[in-house]
Amino acid sequence: MKTNGKVRRYLFAVMCASVLGSMVVMCQCGGSQLPLLGRKVVLKVGMQEEPSTLNILNYQSVWSGYVLGRFYRTLYDEGPVDFEMVPILAESLPEYDAATTSCIVRLRRGITWDDGVPFTAADVVFTANMHLQIKIPSLYYAAWEFIDRVEALDDYTVKFVLKTPRATFFSNTLLPDNFILPRHRWRSVVEDIKFTADPVGNLMEYQPNVPVGLGPFRFVEWRRGSYIKVVSNPNFYGRGLKLKGLEFGPFMDEILYKIYRNTDTAILALKKGDIDYIWWPIQPGYLDELKGHPDIAVTTNPANGWKFLAFHCNREPFSDVNFRRACHWLIDKDFLVERVLQRHGQRADNVVPPVNKFWHNPDVPVIGKGMTKAERWREAKEILTNAGYSWVVPPEIREDGAVTPGKGLRMSNGEPVRTFSLLTPTADYDPLRAISGTYIQQWWKEFGIPVNAVPTSVNDILRRADPTGDFDVYILGWIRLPIDPEYLSTLFTSRQAVKDGNNTSCYRNPAYDALAAQADAEMDREARRRIIFRMQEIIAADVPYITLYAEDVIEAYRKDRFTGWVNEPMGIGNPWSILTIKPVQPR
Amino acid sequence: MTFWHYLGRKLFQLALTTLIIVTLIFFLFRVMPGDPVKTIIDPQMPPEARAQLRAQFGLDKPPVVQYLIFLKNAARGNWGVSFFQQEPVFRIIMRKLPNTLLLFTSAVVLAYLIGVPIGKRIAWKRGTPTEAVVTFVGIFFYTTFLPWLALIMIWLFAYKGIPLPWGGVLQLPLRGMMTPEIWSDPAASALTKGLDVAVHLLLPLFVLVLIFFARFMLLMRSSMLDTLEEDYIVTARAKGLEDRVIMNRHAARNAMLPVVTAMALSLAFSLNGGVLTEKVFSWPGLGTELIDAVMKNDYPLAQAAFIFLAVIVLVANLIADILYIFLDPRIGFES
Repeated sequence: MKTNGKVRRYLFAVMCASVLGSMVVMCQCGGSQLPLLGRKVVLKVGMQEEPSTLNILNYQSVWSGYVLGRFYRTLYDEGPVDFEMVPILAESLPEYDAATTSCIVRLRRGITWDDGVPFTAADVVFTANMHLQIKIPSLYYAAWEFIDRVEALDDYTVKFVLKTPRATFFSNTLLPDNFILPRHRWRSVVEDIKFTADPVGNLMEYQPNVPVGLGPFRFVEWRRGSYIKVVSNPNFYGRGLKLKGLEFGPFMDEILYKIYRNTDTAILALKKGDIDYIWWPIQPGYLDELKGHPDIAVTTNPANGWKFLAFHCNREPFSDVNFRRACHWLIDKDFLVERVLQRHGQRADNVVPPVNKFWHNPDVPVIGKGMTKAERWREAKEILTNAGYSWVVPPEIREDGAVTPGKGLRMSNGEPVRTFSLLTPTADYDPLRAISGTYIQQWWKEFGIPVNAVPTSVNDILRRADPTGDFDVYILGWIRLPIDPEYLSTLFTSRQAVKDGNNTSCYRNPAYDALAAQADAEMDREARRRIIFRMQEIIAADVPYITLYAEDVIEAYRKDRFTGWVNEPMGIGNPWSILTIKPVQPR
Repeated sequence: MTFWHYLGRKLFQLALTTLIIVTLIFFLFRVMPGDPVKTIIDPQMPPEARAQLRAQFGLDKPPVVQYLIFLKNAARGNWGVSFFQQEPVFRIIMRKLPNTLLLFTSAVVLAYLIGVPIGKRIAWKRGTPTEAVVTFVGIFFYTTFLPWLALIMIWLFAYKGIPLPWGGVLQLPLRGMMTPEIWSDPAASALTKGLDVAVHLLLPLFVLVLIFFARFMLLMRSSMLDTLEEDYIVTARAKGLEDRVIMNRHAARNAMLPVVTAMALSLAFSLNGGVLTEKVFSWPGLGTELIDAVMKNDYPLAQAAFIFLAVIVLVANLIADILYIFLDPRIGFES
């Protein structure tokens, strides 16, 4: 018995040692650098979150877009670098009739879905009819509400018939977010839910196990919470095509999306070589650490978005444009960029950022740039004094540039301006906006404007930031604006100043509304551009929003692994980069 | 009172408490700042679309009606569909639960197995340098901010690595519970995959055990010190019993009572994982899911997860109460 016990203990010890030994061997191999990959070229991408679903109709996060956008295609897309429209599944630009109420789209031939079924006009018509019948809220109103019908003229020609001319047909219906679905895979799904009590809910709940697409990659596997694997699609029609000096691949066999829940670990993984690219903007605080690494490159690109301050224009004193203008003059945006952003960003002086070159109006007046505090105070004081405002103790600006704080601003009717709240996101959510809010409070208070900055949870600000909501002034941001400035119509027109509307400022200007209606219906791009320019000027003059600043998009990638990333506003993490990057030859 | 009366009363209390918790959680989420429809930030989404979404989420009805619908569906086993993942919340919870159980429950059990015997021994050796050092170490880990310790450990063991005597460097994985390159390789065997998970488990488990063990050790020490003052321990010594017998059979058994409760509650609370631990180690568990759901006002997922955890805590309490019957000779029932 004793001998048996000894043998058992010995065997147990050997087993434990083997397991531990194997684990040590695995650890020594560095986990991800195991030679299991053979000669395959694999792009390893770090993502902070994973997609919420594989259902392309329900993607609501950028993370879903990063993955699902590799499988599905649209008829057209915004081209690399300059965002000019380029045909993707279409073979040429759309052909409109004279009245611009119908449009012919000719499709590329010889494209197949990744399960081998040919792509034809029937897929486009099926996708369109699905949208027209089921009306998915996030897609229908912006892209399909104004479409009367869509017909297949033959296997490779589609005709869109519009109810009325609509400029956004181009940018919303034919461009991103309206991915074409494989009819042979989705028809039964749509038929099954079409007549249920909740077709939208049921369609959103549909979970395709293996999405079938026609993009450069095919779906292989998703281990929830850990990784997603996609492999290149050998039948991808775009392989070898050239556009604006870029040659399309993909030049890799696989993409492995690895989930890192925090930036610290992702940075370590990038330095260690576990991943080749972190697909989310990193904070400037990591720059020093990364710049010293010989195999890591850091890119900085401007953002097509801005942080802003919104007034509730239905409430006094914000209902007075002079008050809003004076407030604008008092904000030192140069200081915010210099001190708060530490120069990792730019001033935002227009609701259409300069990176959106075609639609940005460069002639919109810039407020306070390069001016001293005294100069800005003088402008603000003049505006308020001319509008009949007064102070208990007026702010003084001396000849030598020194200023003396004011106190007790009064409106033109003699009543004191009430103390109002400036809602800012909390420092744990966004320290930059929280600090900016504190500075703005200080600048306004110094001038005699009674304001309190109130750090508030961002969910609460979002709830209150409604035309019917309870707020005075709040700070939020648009991080990634669409290239087509249709948002000028949705953010500032009277029809959106209702519950759940996007005109949270309740800004109302009939002249602006008329211009927005014109812009929506104008199909001539140049003519529309002139209208959009005028709209930017009106917003700059009426100040329902004060655009504050735009943070740069800072990204990092391994330069010893892949080269040829496409630098765009909003960063190198774009569909064109994934199509063009090539592996670096081993040294 | 018989044991069965006692159990019946406890079960009734459990059911009543569950109903109160369900009600509280349901309404707490609805008064929480935020609006699920407003968390979808899209300048192209018109008011009609938001209204339609609100109706789709069932948020257009009065809260009381929403509550009654929720109760009716929950009684049928339907806990709702996540607003943002569009998947039944029960399925989401069940998918993440095994990962959380694997990490946190093994950490609690291991920490208990290490912490309790050490706590017992250092209490017995009160006043010695060993007790002082071990208690100091325990207090250090008990008060350490877990994410900080976790990041230091990651930097040390997963990034820098430990040089091995025979050459090479021992580097543990940086993140998650599996190596994608191994798991996505069709040639990898089940044994390789199992070892891979074990390797990934090492670092987070080590950090959690360090923290949890300190808690059990200090609790056991403190409870044991109180017990050692009791008269029956003096009597046992006077009877000339061996130290080992007094320590294990007389003192430790009585000192175990608060530790058993702590263990039961720790096991229950371990199910929600640790949000920060999961974030730091990118561990795909329930904690991260829960916090994301709260942040996005995903009511169905957040409330189902909280109710699930509450029920587990209640059941763990019940089990602790029943265990007391067997551990504490002072508790007795009519036959």
